[in-house]
Amino acid sequence: MIHLAKEDIRHTLGKFIVTAMGVGMLLGIVLIMMGVYRGMIADAEVLLNDLNVDLWVVQDDTLGPFAEASRIHEDLKYTIKGFQEIDKSEAITFQNFQLPLKDKKLAVLAIGYDVYGDINPINKERLIDGRVLQNDHYEIVVTDKTGYKIDDTIELGRNFFTVVGITHGSVASGGDPLVYISLKDAQELQFTYTNKRIQTDRARGIINKDAHLVNAIIATIKAGYNVNEVAQEIRKWQHKSVYTRAQQKVVLTRNVVEKASKQIGLFTVILIGVATIIIALIIYTMTLEKMKVISIMKLMGLPNSMIIKMIVEETLILGILAFIFGNIFAHLIYSKFPKNVLLNTPDSLLLFGVVVIASILASFIGVKKVVNADPTAAIGG
Amino acid sequence: MSNKQAIKVEHLNKSFGKGDSFVDIIKDASFVINKGELVALVAPSGAGKTTLLMLLGCVSEPNSGKIWLGDEKVYDDKWLTKETRKIRREKIGFIFQAHYLIPFLNIIDNLTLLPQANGTNDKDAKAKARELLKYFDIADKEKAMPSQLSGGQNQRVAIARALANNPEIILADEPTAALDMQRSVDVVEMLKTIAQEQDVAIVMVTHDDRMLPYCDRIMKIQDKTIVFLD
Repeated sequence: MIHLAKEDIRHTLGKFIVTAMGVGMLLGIVLIMMGVYRGMIADAEVLLNDLNVDLWVVQDDTLGPFAEASRIHEDLKYTIKGFQEIDKSEAITFQNFQLPLKDKKLAVLAIGYDVYGDINPINKERLIDGRVLQNDHYEIVVTDKTGYKIDDTIELGRNFFTVVGITHGSVASGGDPLVYISLKDAQELQFTYTNKRIQTDRARGIINKDAHLVNAIIATIKAGYNVNEVAQEIRKWQHKSVYTRAQQKVVLTRNVVEKASKQIGLFTVILIGVATIIIALIIYTMTLEKMKVISIMKLMGLPNSMIIKMIVEETLILGILAFIFGNIFAHLIYSKFPKNVLLNTPDSLLLFGVVVIASILASFIGVKKVVNADPTAAIGG
Repeated sequence: MSNKQAIKVEHLNKSFGKGDSFVDIIKDASFVINKGELVALVAPSGAGKTTLLMLLGCVSEPNSGKIWLGDEKVYDDKWLTKETRKIRREKIGFIFQAHYLIPFLNIIDNLTLLPQANGTNDKDAKAKARELLKYFDIADKEKAMPSQLSGGQNQRVAIARALANNPEIILADEPTAALDMQRSVDVVEMLKTIAQEQDVAIVMVTHDDRMLPYCDRIMKIQDKTIVFLD
């Protein structure tokens, strides 16, 4: 049996492939958008996963440092550790600043932690060069995205920091690279002002500002205890907000990246809609170009089913070819994006399903033209 | 019903419009065309030649009357089958002003498309197509695309296509309109030979009086009905 769609495509192969490549680029952008969303979710959880703690104790009535400002006293970590269910407890700071590069500055999130403490936020699997912090002062671990090398010196505040370690893939929930400094350095950076500011503060009567503040106390619990019960216990006695790791994950996905992910989701839906319309228009144009031939086929007596099959198959082949080109395109360019783009197979399969459904819907417009084609149009020149 | 009879029409009527715009095109037409005949259909422009062709080709529906194609009565004040397209596929071959071959199919596929749609297997459809291509002296072109053939070769392929489904009737709509005199004569002589050798009835619309001597009979639409000229 003659395969009409195959023969028609072969007849205009170059045009068909270029069209599929064009639609493919659009589908590639859809895949990239999905990858940006996946990357955003993955980035948001990097620090949470690297810290791998059970409890987050933060300022009362706040969601914690991932979502809003939270300040509590550093010495609370000793109180928390006093609970019999708690295994380890440490203070941690989060601080955004501009890391000086050669000719510009890079926004980073600095994690301050007790170098000699029980919990180290640096995931050793991410450490690609050097070591973790070992001294209380003037050491820094940076991510490879900053471009710094081991033993480079970075001026921060009034001091010079030496790069002692390089990590890979350490990013904050907003996608900014993470750097790690000691808790003491972090507090100093946060609360050491310029001489003029100190003079002004003194004139206002602000003296000896408490520098021993942190953004959260993180803790792990001993085996055999229920994390939710421990969290409730701390809430009850310390009048602080306490979140389990699962709750912090919800804070990250609902409060931090929710709007961004909705925005990306909306863009993705719009792009899929646009791709469907473009495929429909291409099929409509391709059908219009064949109207005389279709009229002749109908006049000769070919059943509608044969002609409709040709249109639907061509649309599906166009959609599938565009999907393949889209995947190739997305895999070629995704690494060029400044933020993390995660392309994964389930998203690809989901898009494939959407493309197949969109192609079938898009073919309806061509099918309608076929059904309405007048066979008498073939006669009379 | 004669075995020689290919088309029989009785009291056929076709009109368009309603009220003030009502117009009769064919009125009370009755005629018989036999197998093996090449019949020219002539009339001034707008007199209803194409309409009559569409009625005989089961493309347009008459208002009333009776039509037989071969032994089968297909219309008796209404279509006697829901699938008029099947009648066309099985009983009628069409030839157009231009060759109108399907541009994305090669020559042999153009010839086998309709038989295959009729259920003929690929092997038999190709055997018949090759026989026809040999008959029209273009056997070496079976793999060529229509765009690679000359106008004359394409017109021969178009005639071969009209014969590919073993029709009882061929309806030709001004097949010589785009050809010069010599090639027009060649085509009409070819159609006459085909009518006789393949035992099919051919109704050929033409505006060219010079082609009439080559036809067996001349059918004219005159005063909205059909008359045969001597």
